[in-house]
Amino acid sequence: MLTVALAKGRTVDDLLPLWQEAQLPLPADLDDTRALVFEVAWDGYSPIRYLLAKPADVPTYVSFGVADLGVVGKDVLLEQQKELYELIDLAVSKCRLCVAGLPKDFDRRPERVATKYPKLADAYFRSQGQSVEIVPLSGSIELASVIGLADRIYDLVQTGSTLKANGLVVYDTVHDISARLVANRSSYRMKQREISEVVRRLNEAMAKRGAVRQ
Amino acid sequence: MVMTVSVNVPSGFADRPMGMQDSYPGFAKRRRVIENRLVDFFDEAGYELVSSGAFEFVDTLLRARPFEAAREWVQLFDGMGNAIALRPEMTPSIARMAAPLVTAAKLPIRWSYAERVYRRTNDPASLSWASGKAAESTQVGVEWIGEAGATADAQVLDLCHRATLALGLQETQTVVSHARLLPALLKALGVPGELVADGLACLTRGDYVAFRAVLPSTLPDVIGILQAVTPYEPDSLADATAGAIWQSETARQEMEAAWGSLVLLASAVTDLGLKEQVMFDLTLHRDITYYTGLVFEVFAPGVGAPIALGGRYDDLLAQFGSAAPAVGLAFEVERVLAVLGAPMTAADTFSAGSLGAAVNHAGGGL
Repeated sequence: MLTVALAKGRTVDDLLPLWQEAQLPLPADLDDTRALVFEVAWDGYSPIRYLLAKPADVPTYVSFGVADLGVVGKDVLLEQQKELYELIDLAVSKCRLCVAGLPKDFDRRPERVATKYPKLADAYFRSQGQSVEIVPLSGSIELASVIGLADRIYDLVQTGSTLKANGLVVYDTVHDISARLVANRSSYRMKQREISEVVRRLNEAMAKRGAVRQ
Repeated sequence: MVMTVSVNVPSGFADRPMGMQDSYPGFAKRRRVIENRLVDFFDEAGYELVSSGAFEFVDTLLRARPFEAAREWVQLFDGMGNAIALRPEMTPSIARMAAPLVTAAKLPIRWSYAERVYRRTNDPASLSWASGKAAESTQVGVEWIGEAGATADAQVLDLCHRATLALGLQETQTVVSHARLLPALLKALGVPGELVADGLACLTRGDYVAFRAVLPSTLPDVIGILQAVTPYEPDSLADATAGAIWQSETARQEMEAAWGSLVLLASAVTDLGLKEQVMFDLTLHRDITYYTGLVFEVFAPGVGAPIALGGRYDDLLAQFGSAAPAVGLAFEVERVLAVLGAPMTAADTFSAGSLGAAVNHAGGGL
């Protein structure tokens, strides 16, 4: 059995077409049930079990080995720095980690930064030679800026429409983010046959898409 | 049914420093049993137990490791004002103890040890044994000083494998590489020195994506080449690099020499009947700079970090005043315990029945 933890939400939605093009088995009802565990047969290989997990928990499942593989955004991997193998940049679910705020605050020295990524935000502002107070929040980061809790936010930006709707502008783009295939270090060795086949098929599907060099 | 909930959890007990772990009855005993089993096994194999104090001079450790590695050490000053550190591993201490004997030509030296080792950590949850870096952990290992060559390397891999069997570990996989092969390959392909260092750091972290991004895009697919070759097939490297344009002849020769020693190792491993357990992955890179040849990691199902690690360090003893080839390995005892005691040692051991129940339950529309 090969267990794959997928980050719920946007990552998995963007991933599924690529996964299908790679001709990797998928359950028929992944989108429309509320189940979290799916098991499907895989011709010639051991079956695959999919887990749908909260994105921030995917590296934990993989590093503890309850999942052999995981698909999760690079933002989560950067923030958590778990011991894993990062095998492929899947080039889907692309977005950017940005510093944003209200236009009027642009010229002011940053003082308070609201973010879901306290470590990354701290590292960024230190690299700019700025000392800020980090306000860790778990969602709707834009709100912090709008109501004046923070004068900067450090957050993922996909289309920018949420920022725009709240009157915020991007000050700086810090990282380009995309979904990554990660592997548990032990599984990568013990289940090498299955994992290298997944990697081979995904690489092939990406080459067909004419994506980045792998 | 009414559940009683204890709201008043008492507090105010003394806390522990970051990363320190208490072991209560049960765990403490199981750990000691594993340590003893390994010490006895190594003793029977001809490795005598030695021990040293937990502190070393920082200067001693720096003979073995680069300055940057010192960031991970727990350092303080002794009463004389000397910088001292809790040992992050045993090999430098063993090299320090062995050097006078090497000078007196009392070779070979075959020693074992079972000690706690220490490093700094920011993780308050000290139970990172199974998946990451713990501040305090137990290593049981051996060092074999005075013997060079592929046969000795293969014997160490064999010793390691037999030790896993003695521990009752059924399925393990040993992953082997050569410390100098990948750096030499990159240099031979004309990658500048600082990019080589960056690339190797990516591989140590396990970040293959960043490794590809760091290297110049004009380069052939290095990871693809390395994953396609195995020293069990002596010609595979020459075949895989047939189209390569070599920029440095010295580096290419260094690569060939490393490959040659791996081919010898592969044949010695085959002779010992270990081909099933030993795989080569030339993208494996370890962050310890004193390795000069063989490097290896041993994995078992259910624990995401190697349960045993080792390698050859032919230049280290010279740093302690007397040159001699050496090879060693260490078991990470807490990780071994995690494999032996894991409620689900591998994802597979979930029985199909209980999984089915979980799927049905979740599918029921919670």
